[in-house]
Amino acid sequence: MRQWTSKFPHLQSPRTMGVACAVVSLLALYGCDQRPAPPSAEQLATLEPADSRLSKLYEHSCKACHAVPGSSAPLVHDRNAWDTRWSKGLSVLRNHVIVGFQAMPAGGQCTVCAPKDYDDLIRFMADREN
Amino acid sequence: MKISRRAALYTAGAGAAALGAGAVGIGIANRELPEPAAPPATDDKGHVVWRNWSGIRYSYPQSRIAPASEGELAHLLKHSPAPIRAVGAGHSFMPLVPTNGTLLSLDSMAGLVEIAGDEATVLAGTRLGDLGPALASRGRAMANLPDINKQSLAGALGTATHGTGKTLRALHGDVTALRIATADGNIVDCSKQKNPDLFDAARVSLGSLGIIVQATLKTIPSRRLHRRVWLETLEETLSAAEQRWSTHRNFEFYAVPFTGLAANITHDETNEPARPRGPETDSEFLTVLKELRNLFGFSNTIRRAAAQLLLASTAPEEAVDEGWKLLSTERPVRFNEMEFHLPAETQLSALREVVLTIEKMRPDVFFPIEARRIATDDAWLSPFQGGPRGSVAVHTYYKDEYEFLFQLIEPIFRRHGGRPHWGKLNSLKGSDFAALYPRWKDFISLRQSLDPERRLLNDYLQKIFATQPE
Repeated sequence: MRQWTSKFPHLQSPRTMGVACAVVSLLALYGCDQRPAPPSAEQLATLEPADSRLSKLYEHSCKACHAVPGSSAPLVHDRNAWDTRWSKGLSVLRNHVIVGFQAMPAGGQCTVCAPKDYDDLIRFMADREN
Repeated sequence: MKISRRAALYTAGAGAAALGAGAVGIGIANRELPEPAAPPATDDKGHVVWRNWSGIRYSYPQSRIAPASEGELAHLLKHSPAPIRAVGAGHSFMPLVPTNGTLLSLDSMAGLVEIAGDEATVLAGTRLGDLGPALASRGRAMANLPDINKQSLAGALGTATHGTGKTLRALHGDVTALRIATADGNIVDCSKQKNPDLFDAARVSLGSLGIIVQATLKTIPSRRLHRRVWLETLEETLSAAEQRWSTHRNFEFYAVPFTGLAANITHDETNEPARPRGPETDSEFLTVLKELRNLFGFSNTIRRAAAQLLLASTAPEEAVDEGWKLLSTERPVRFNEMEFHLPAETQLSALREVVLTIEKMRPDVFFPIEARRIATDDAWLSPFQGGPRGSVAVHTYYKDEYEFLFQLIEPIFRRHGGRPHWGKLNSLKGSDFAALYPRWKDFISLRQSLDPERRLLNDYLQKIFATQPE
């Protein structure tokens, strides 16, 4: 057991587990999610950038996840999902898109997007075009 | 013990939290390895990085092209910097795509061209997730689909992507004709009647013979399928698997390591009214399994007992809908994967050995291990050439180590006569493939004649196709 926990640091010891299991009272907090409702299914299906070229890029790449509830991607025009991300700054978000970050695959599945395209697509999805 | 996967998610989610208990427990349950190091966003020449879906393959293409017509494609193939490699969804875990030459997208060459009789001609850049509804709107469907719906048709064909079903072939097995743009800028049609050697070679060809422009596919009338998902013990599943492959249109199962359980999934044609599947829940299921690992990975006994306790309660999940809505899913959680296609008679013994090995050696693994069955076809480089095959696929979370797959898992697959999925992790060399595929040298010879300057080969393909014909 000790070999496992030292080799795989994300696995925990029985002692730590005992401490963990003692804190039962906070259980009710688990799973609570007070986020307001995301955009409607109709909005998700129809929202697209005004620019036709950008719209095609969005259609071929971002939309596959960012318009699909449950995909774990922040949904298009869902300000609640985007606010904390937007606060990191556009350059950080652009870099996350290009190299990939967490559930986000690198490039956002857009093979032909240039960095400026990513900026414009992020602005659109975050509802910060203006 | 019959258990609905969806209900199990919520039961297990709450249960894992209860066992983990409160903020500390939640912190432990959520603990995981850091985000893998990313390559620089650009190289020293300013070229932007391309990475595959899981993040382990990357390159800095000097040119990225997305032709909108076969004429434009043919011109670009002739004049763009080599190596020229096509990319769809980037779901291959092998280095099929990386190139510092030209990265080619077929996203602008997508859509249904025509339906004639039971055949549909489809542009090669069409994503499988878009093809399903396009065919359904015309009353047609593909006979089978893979797990994930993001792939482009060309990418799925080129890597022998498959679904499950004893009588159902991989996607390329239903192709009746192809149109290909070759490296010298020619457009060539092939089928069983016209250029038959090219047809048999090109259906599974890793983008190395030319770029597929369009494919004609056999389709079937669109029918609703009845989907059932349930958990039972792995031993029950292994005992019944062959019979289920024989009696269900589609059957697959996932052995869930460290639980003694397996998730079974069947699909059968039905005339029942639609009962949609509802929101995707696989990600939540994976989260529960990850939490069980994080909380109880120190002890296989406790981990198994906790999993069985948490998952032992409710009824099977059922849904009725069109096949394209049920057979493929989004699969948003990123992972790396090794999948081998084994002779049907060795599939389950190989799977048993894989599960035992993982439970003995790799407590960090939490993804279920997938088992499917695929009918035979006659494409030269099809893993299903020469007889039906049973696939076994081992997944690792994208943040976790995957190198152990080569040391611990691949030898099991090799010993059981497996052929690797072309897009998934393996360490085979050209000589290994030559021993597995009777037409390997014919393929190399044909490839050489079509692309003598090797404009379509990146470093990896140069290596595996290095064997010269005698």
